[in-house]
Amino acid sequence: MTGPTRPAEAVITGAGLAVAGYAGIADLLGPVPADRDGDPLAGLSRRLGRHKDRATRLALLAGGRALADAGRPADDTPVDTGPEAFDRPGGRTGVVASSNYGNLDTVCGTVDAIDAHTYTGASPMLLPSTASNVVASWIAITYGMRGANLTLCNGATSGLDAVHWACHLVRAGRVDSVLVAGVEPGNDAVTGLAGAPAFDGAAAIVVESARVAAGRGAPVRARVGRYARRADLRDAVAAVAPGPVDLWCEPEDGAAEPPVPARHRLEVGAQLGRRSGALGVLQVAAAVAWFGRHPRSRALATCGRGGEASADAAAALVLAAPEDRS
Amino acid sequence: MPGGIAGRGALASTGRTAEDMFAALCAGRSGVDTPRAFDLTRYRTRHAFEIDDRPPGGGDVPMRATGWLLDAIGAALADAELAPDLGDVPVLIGTTLRELRSAELAWRQHTDFDTDRLHFGHALRERFGATTTYTVTNACAASLYVLGLGLDLIESGAAETVVVAGVDTISESTFGLLDRCYPAPPEALRPFDRHRQGMLQGEGAAAVVLRGTGDARHGLLRAVAVNCDAYHPSAPDVAGIAAAIREGQSRAGAKPSDVDLVFLHGTGTELNDQAEALAMAEVFGDTPPLATAIKCMTGHTAGASGLHSLIAGTDCIRTGAVPAITTLQRPMDEAAGLRLVRDTVSGADIDLVQVHSFGFGGLNAVALLERGR
Repeated sequence: MTGPTRPAEAVITGAGLAVAGYAGIADLLGPVPADRDGDPLAGLSRRLGRHKDRATRLALLAGGRALADAGRPADDTPVDTGPEAFDRPGGRTGVVASSNYGNLDTVCGTVDAIDAHTYTGASPMLLPSTASNVVASWIAITYGMRGANLTLCNGATSGLDAVHWACHLVRAGRVDSVLVAGVEPGNDAVTGLAGAPAFDGAAAIVVESARVAAGRGAPVRARVGRYARRADLRDAVAAVAPGPVDLWCEPEDGAAEPPVPARHRLEVGAQLGRRSGALGVLQVAAAVAWFGRHPRSRALATCGRGGEASADAAAALVLAAPEDRS
Repeated sequence: MPGGIAGRGALASTGRTAEDMFAALCAGRSGVDTPRAFDLTRYRTRHAFEIDDRPPGGGDVPMRATGWLLDAIGAALADAELAPDLGDVPVLIGTTLRELRSAELAWRQHTDFDTDRLHFGHALRERFGATTTYTVTNACAASLYVLGLGLDLIESGAAETVVVAGVDTISESTFGLLDRCYPAPPEALRPFDRHRQGMLQGEGAAAVVLRGTGDARHGLLRAVAVNCDAYHPSAPDVAGIAAAIREGQSRAGAKPSDVDLVFLHGTGTELNDQAEALAMAEVFGDTPPLATAIKCMTGHTAGASGLHSLIAGTDCIRTGAVPAITTLQRPMDEAAGLRLVRDTVSGADIDLVQVHSFGFGGLNAVALLERGR
């Protein structure tokens, strides 16, 4: 099936956000906006939001913005159905979502309702949200994406892991493009179980085969380099060997020392609460914004710390501006 | 290029090893029982396929899924004669509910639970020193879906060894919502039966060690196709299932007539079995292969179910035995043309097995497994 061709190159062609007070991805490079009282879901149509949990709504909104940014404005009514649809572009588009706390609200709300009113108290509309893949599922349905569909619930590194698996799907030739969404909802179930403060928002990017992006004349916003998930931050960064970088995106809660020489360090969304499974995608969106201002530069995204044996791990991902040829 | 299945491990209500599970399936022994974890005054449903390992005295305890996952992977590594020290060997875990049952217990009963352990990375690091681990929550298609990613890594040369596993426990939110959604509580899980009433949940874990073709003592994994219906959050779509079957066969370089046996997803729900039977008829026409469905005995083991079927498939190839759909009495009309296994088969010559695993969100995974050479 697969010939001796080189694997497809994965590039990023768009990014979008759904975070209160943030007008666009460029805001990720500056201080937290002064006015964050608005509803991050204000831009979502009532029809799109119907019967969906908060994480799904946030991800649909950020995803729609990323698609528009990539020059693929999505008609939110998929009309491309039937057996042949799997051979058309929607059949070659995948989805990868990342969230650690996404459906805790549904799970906790349902067991409360059962305790109070027996099984008759549970809302049948919530059944799909009991499974943690509900976000990726609704993105696929809403935007007509019939390719591989993955949900990473992988702890601190989850967002960068999601970007990695999206690139894998493109490089393996399983799909031509992937919408990646990282989302965490802020609600009582999340703060009750994981503690405060919870982040409430989503970031999304479009990962695409370089050949397919060139074929449709889409500008490349970032190139994706090496990725590793290892025992700790030092090991992960050593495995991707980025050399000196222009931008280093720090893991949650920061890190004392840059793992490589970095001209600029950034804690993406540092004051917005625990970004968890959204953080890696927020970092990649921030890198896209950075490359818009700093051509010929390179960025290192890092999530998780790892460290002692009972910790999980850390992940690192190298990104480069489209003009960077180093 | 195929991958080799070098080791395997499995457990469920029907047995605590892959060998015991297959013996139970061939003997027609079901793992169904009265649910032990929940206050049954809150429910109509009286059947579940639980693993009976809670401490005596009633009530539920956290972290059971994690324990089964570690057991299944440990068994698969031992079977493959690999040391339980994985380092950066990729470990791909498919699950519907990860440790959400532990989150429910923490929420309702304030039992200790660290939400960092909703995913399995910490436990895999502690037990196996594994750091390149991924918890992929791809609903009931999860373990077969990630098997496809694992095969990609073997084929591209990115990894020499990949551990692929699936696990799920029964959460109270899913147990209650299924009860809410069915017109009547199912008395049995009856795949492809005219009087099927719905799915009953099961618990379990399964793991395989995937390597190159030189390490194929349990068979060759020829291909895994994955896609998404993009149609409905819970209902299946014939077109998506048929497309996944065709892509799986195409990736494997196989024709429909090459397939000797199909492990159907077969959940006993109105819609799954209808869509799956129609997709089978569409692909195989008038000459379908033997087909069976094991959830009648294991319950729907969700994220583990795809690998449970695949591992049983390795036993069918080796022994020539094929378990029957024990609860099937009167096949539904759409399945009239299928060769559903009604009584345990023995002495069959099975070289190529097709395995189905579908999930909420329209997720479809289809694997093709061949006798090792």
